[in-house]
Amino acid sequence: MGLNRRRFFSLFLPTAATLAACSRSEASQEIVGSKEEEQVGCLVDTTLCIGCRQCEEGCNRRNELPRPDKPFRDHSVFRTDRRPGINNFTVVNEFLGSPSRDQRNKSATYVKTQCMHCLDPACVSACIVGALTRARDGAVVYNPDICIGCRYCMIACPFQIPSYEYAETLTPRVRKCEFCADQAEGTGADPACAAACPIEAIVFGKRSELLQLARSRIERRPVRYVDHVYGENEIGGTSWLYLYGREMDEIGLLSLPIFSPPRTTEAIQHTIFKYGAIPFLVYGTLGGIMWHNHRKHQVADDRDGGGS
Amino acid sequence: MSAHDTRCVRGSFFSPGTFALLAVMTLGGAFAFTRMLTNLQTVTNLTDAYPWGLWIAIDVACGVALAAGGFTTAALIEVFGNHKYRPLLRPAVLTAWLGYIFVGIGLMFDLGRYWNIWRPAFNWQGNSVLFEVGMCVMAYLFVLTVEMSISFLDGLRTRVEEGSPGARILNRLERPLTLLRRIVRTVMPLFVIAGVVLSCMHQSSLGALMVIAPTKMCSLWYTPVLPLLFLLSAIMVGFPMVVMESLIVSRSLGREPEMDLLSPLAKIIPWFIAGYGAVKILDLVVRGSAVEFFDTPGHMIAFLVEMVLCLLVPFVLLMLKPVRESSGWLLFSSLLIIAGVVLNRVNVFLVAYEPPFPGKGYFPSVGEIAVTLGLIATIMFLYRVFIFLFPILPKHETSAAIPLRTPPTYTPLKTSTAWTFRGVAIGLMLIFSVLYAFIHQEAVSGDIRATEWVESVRPVVAESTGLNPAEHAGRPEGYQRVYILSSRLLDDLDNFYGPARFNHVTHDEWTGGDCAPCHHRFSMDSDDRIGIDLNEFHDELEIHLGGPCASCHDMGSITTQRCDSCHWLANEEDDPSRLGLKGAYHRQCIGCHEGARKTGAPLACIGCHHPVTPDHRDLVAVGEDVDVQGVVRECVRCHATSTQDVLKSAHWNWAGHSPEVGGYENSASLGLNTMVNSYMFGTGPNGEYCAACHIGIGPLEGRIANRDPETVDCLICHDTTGTYKKKIGGGGQPVDGLDLQRVGRTVGRPSRAKCGECHFYSDGSANIKHGDLEPALADPPDDFDVHMGRYNLLCQDCHTTRQHKIAGMSMSAPAVEGRVHCSRCHSDTPHGISGAYSRHLDDHLRSISCQVCHIPHIARETPTRTSIDWQKAEAYGPVPLTDRGLPAWPERSGVETWVRNLVPEYRWYDGTRRIKVLGESIDPRSTVYLNQPQGDKRNPRALISAFKTHRAIQPYDTDNKVLLIPKLWEGFWQHFNLEVAIRDGMADSGMGYSGSYDFVQTVQYMGIHHEIVPAKDALGCHDCHAADAVDCRRCHSSIRGHELNGLGHAVYPEVENRIDFKALGYEDDPARIGGRFFIQLGRGTPPS
Repeated sequence: MGLNRRRFFSLFLPTAATLAACSRSEASQEIVGSKEEEQVGCLVDTTLCIGCRQCEEGCNRRNELPRPDKPFRDHSVFRTDRRPGINNFTVVNEFLGSPSRDQRNKSATYVKTQCMHCLDPACVSACIVGALTRARDGAVVYNPDICIGCRYCMIACPFQIPSYEYAETLTPRVRKCEFCADQAEGTGADPACAAACPIEAIVFGKRSELLQLARSRIERRPVRYVDHVYGENEIGGTSWLYLYGREMDEIGLLSLPIFSPPRTTEAIQHTIFKYGAIPFLVYGTLGGIMWHNHRKHQVADDRDGGGS
Repeated sequence: MSAHDTRCVRGSFFSPGTFALLAVMTLGGAFAFTRMLTNLQTVTNLTDAYPWGLWIAIDVACGVALAAGGFTTAALIEVFGNHKYRPLLRPAVLTAWLGYIFVGIGLMFDLGRYWNIWRPAFNWQGNSVLFEVGMCVMAYLFVLTVEMSISFLDGLRTRVEEGSPGARILNRLERPLTLLRRIVRTVMPLFVIAGVVLSCMHQSSLGALMVIAPTKMCSLWYTPVLPLLFLLSAIMVGFPMVVMESLIVSRSLGREPEMDLLSPLAKIIPWFIAGYGAVKILDLVVRGSAVEFFDTPGHMIAFLVEMVLCLLVPFVLLMLKPVRESSGWLLFSSLLIIAGVVLNRVNVFLVAYEPPFPGKGYFPSVGEIAVTLGLIATIMFLYRVFIFLFPILPKHETSAAIPLRTPPTYTPLKTSTAWTFRGVAIGLMLIFSVLYAFIHQEAVSGDIRATEWVESVRPVVAESTGLNPAEHAGRPEGYQRVYILSSRLLDDLDNFYGPARFNHVTHDEWTGGDCAPCHHRFSMDSDDRIGIDLNEFHDELEIHLGGPCASCHDMGSITTQRCDSCHWLANEEDDPSRLGLKGAYHRQCIGCHEGARKTGAPLACIGCHHPVTPDHRDLVAVGEDVDVQGVVRECVRCHATSTQDVLKSAHWNWAGHSPEVGGYENSASLGLNTMVNSYMFGTGPNGEYCAACHIGIGPLEGRIANRDPETVDCLICHDTTGTYKKKIGGGGQPVDGLDLQRVGRTVGRPSRAKCGECHFYSDGSANIKHGDLEPALADPPDDFDVHMGRYNLLCQDCHTTRQHKIAGMSMSAPAVEGRVHCSRCHSDTPHGISGAYSRHLDDHLRSISCQVCHIPHIARETPTRTSIDWQKAEAYGPVPLTDRGLPAWPERSGVETWVRNLVPEYRWYDGTRRIKVLGESIDPRSTVYLNQPQGDKRNPRALISAFKTHRAIQPYDTDNKVLLIPKLWEGFWQHFNLEVAIRDGMADSGMGYSGSYDFVQTVQYMGIHHEIVPAKDALGCHDCHAADAVDCRRCHSSIRGHELNGLGHAVYPEVENRIDFKALGYEDDPARIGGRFFIQLGRGTPPS
């Protein structure tokens, strides 16, 4: 993609003025912040993952997805880069090369991909009817009943996660990982992928604790890990966090700005339409001009002795 | 807005152009119909990477933009009072109205759940830009309809006046229609302004749509001021649309172009272009460094075309007066601007959209293009319909430039009534606006995000209560060596694999006795969940850790902390960084196993775990009266590759690569059809009997070669009911009266009993052949076989299976598909690190196979046959048959010898053997070895190994000097006439027979590998070595009077001379004279 952080700062520079003027965006940030205690998440340690695909199998079973043609034990799927789709909400991809500097004996890095459950999800902001919502603990969940199928969420998602059942005639759905939300909702139980992981490369827990855990791992093994928790600030922060030991772009982690895009659009929207003030103002002005012109017209008409 | 300067168009409706439109509409309609009947995938090229395509970019985005002529013209005339342009108003509003209607229709095709399109009107999501667009478009469509209604009402009235068809009915409605016309006329100004405001709102919001995807957009187009750019470009394209539409209509109807109106109108356009262009360029300049101009040439070209050709060129052209006054040039310039806006929308929505994982990319499909063209054609067609039906275009006869001042037909409403209606309209608008504004604020403050439905739809499942860490589920009482690593903590939620069996002793050996890698903490108290670190503890005592724990500690008395007393659940609150039980086990295992790759530590999941067979009850769809081949067809439906694997296996072919048979090392031709033995002689004439075991259905002959997947009998191995059996001599068919539906639905991993059904009964009767494979092994007591009894291992735990090729070697069958080695689990130094004698025991492994000491006896429950004399059998005559069809010779006949608790024979064996194949000539003067283990004392690879020998006196052809194959099944066993049996048998085998036979002594060896006793029951030193030969003091001169406790005696004193060392090539007991790799014994000499 050729994106880098510098470019993004400059990209957002013109917005900064707009945003600074917009008190509402701060309010929205507060919402995210105030629920910090309740946020759950998962920490994925890519240096530990062994590519067994148990998480895929667990996800498949929990969500009652169709069984794939190739069994989960078949490692030939690693030959191609896969993306989450309608029949697999999470996929593990293989990237050749050892996962970190101190793991020379490993020849490949495995990285799991699924919905990141952003703290400030663009898809939720984008959804026209609120079919995508963010549950209290951070899971981004989907209600197919009110979805109209506009696929704007797919445009909005910076991670390109939601997929669509294009082959359905009447009831296509947006499919994505929903964090096994029936269980993650208050119970503290692992999502199926984290529960299935044999070596706890995926750890489920409170986001704040996971961040501490990630920091302590980096501190303990500074050679192994890149000093960056992927997802801590990316795109406003995500519930899923990644630890890694190689360049991000080598292992399919997108370089993303720390700025959350919905803050831009919502700021624009809510500034322009705040209390409908600007539309009313425009309406009034135009009405005034119209009335003025009408009066002029009538005077002219009256002088001509005509009338309309 | 008077009605009398506009007229319905008269004349011929149809023209060649109309038919062309109809053709395009039909084509587009066909594709649209297909999309509605099938799905998006069939018609479009949309993917997960590109969820929006041509339909959104053209039908919706361009549709909205190009309908801007409606509000710009309305503003120009009604708001800014330029009444001379009034003739252009109605066509412009009609274009906008049709445009918006078709935005909606186009959207219907694109929406996945188009039947839910009404949802946004009720499920308000104020944060969504798209919601903003949707609401405004809906509202504006209503405003446009109100604006259009004047034309419609006028049209209806004209019909009444002219007495057109339908006038009679309309006549009755004249009063309400007139009233409605008057009301609409009264409130119209309010709506006109509302229309302008709404247009500004959603034209800009449309631009804000893509602002949410900054990371996916090309920087040439992505800017936070996209909404402003969209609004300005929409205003810019409004008048060119009016110009274009007016000029095309004039041409189409053969009228004079309204140049007197259009030329002055065109004079305004450059100002808008300049405004839009200025903002766009300013934006580029401000973003400056962020814009990557030359990164993607394709994007740069698209951008330059949009900016130069479609913005700069028309700007320059329209500045020129001649251009503005020429209808052709004016049309050209307008078209350029329109193309520029279309290109801009396509660029923003399609070209600039660069998903991070583009997949195969996006280009619109034929269907998408056809539907889009069809929609455009429909708009044009309907435009023509409306101008023919309703008074929209100015009267043709009069020059449109002179506004007619005809007296109004309608009297205005009374002032008070008019104000009432205006008040009501204003009130409704206010209510809507206030509500809308309110919702916006609510959305921002977060209440809209409340997710009640999540709580209502998805039940919260109560989580199980915690497990007492002291309860280690699945850990059998008293099992010291093998732990079943299974607990609710491990099995929770996802149990795809069976529990691992962790062999503590083996791992003890691999780690060299260092407990610390696993037991890094221990505690004296079971309530202490933290314990102390082994390293720290020893450091404090200034003890250097490094050697085996057992070198200091008595491992029998020391207690270690249970793993799950610390490692319980992952990410617990008291220490989030501590691993859960599953993670602790696996990470410890996998790390070591990867490091110990060379030693053969298993790395795959199934190296330690049995995969759990899914419940096949719902998967196997067979009827109640299914036959066995029906079940197999059902198996093949999913397991096609497995069937193909079976067809390549030795179990199917009864032949295969024979690397261990001397002279046939590189051959795969040896198999049971080349075999000759002393049990059933050969498969040729007795094949039907053998077919009761072969893993196929149907007659044996031809079946193997045909390789028909549907003749593979999956159930013979995978039946778990224990009822599935084959008829003896029944052509491989199962016995009658089976519930095959049940058998098929309960398939699973083969059990020991299932393998044993063939292998315990090789050559017809229980344990007759192998000696170490008897039916008791299906469920043996602990000390009968330590693997199968105590640890309940399945056959395939040792005989590892890959693609239905099963490891293992038999002395009688040549094919090998992998070997089984004790060392896979027990390492090369298996005798433990804690015992005083382990080194001496391990030294034995250079010359003795494990089986010699650990299988003291075979046939411990069911006797095995060690000899048969066919000469006596022929002479003895008919005897009754057993239930498996074999003759039961009485013991006194001396035909057979059956032995229980057989002591094996010991021979050198280097892993290879020589065999006699069918038709190979023999020397009848000496004993014929049907198979003969190779190796002797001088061969360093040879080990003393345990065998069962089967001796026979069997017939041979005195002239041809070959062993004969009598027909036993439906032959000798029925008529007991060996002469006839030989003749039939040799004919069936396709071999010549001279007619005379005699008897020769043969020997056949069978390897001994099963019925391994627990260590305490294995041979002691004195079982093989002379009592005076084993003495520690011979080497350890300092030791006085040390007892070889537990080992220094004969465990089986009743067996004398278990190993004849002289026969094996030793001059004397090697304990006395030294082993074959030692020239002499160590430092000491045996006491005299």
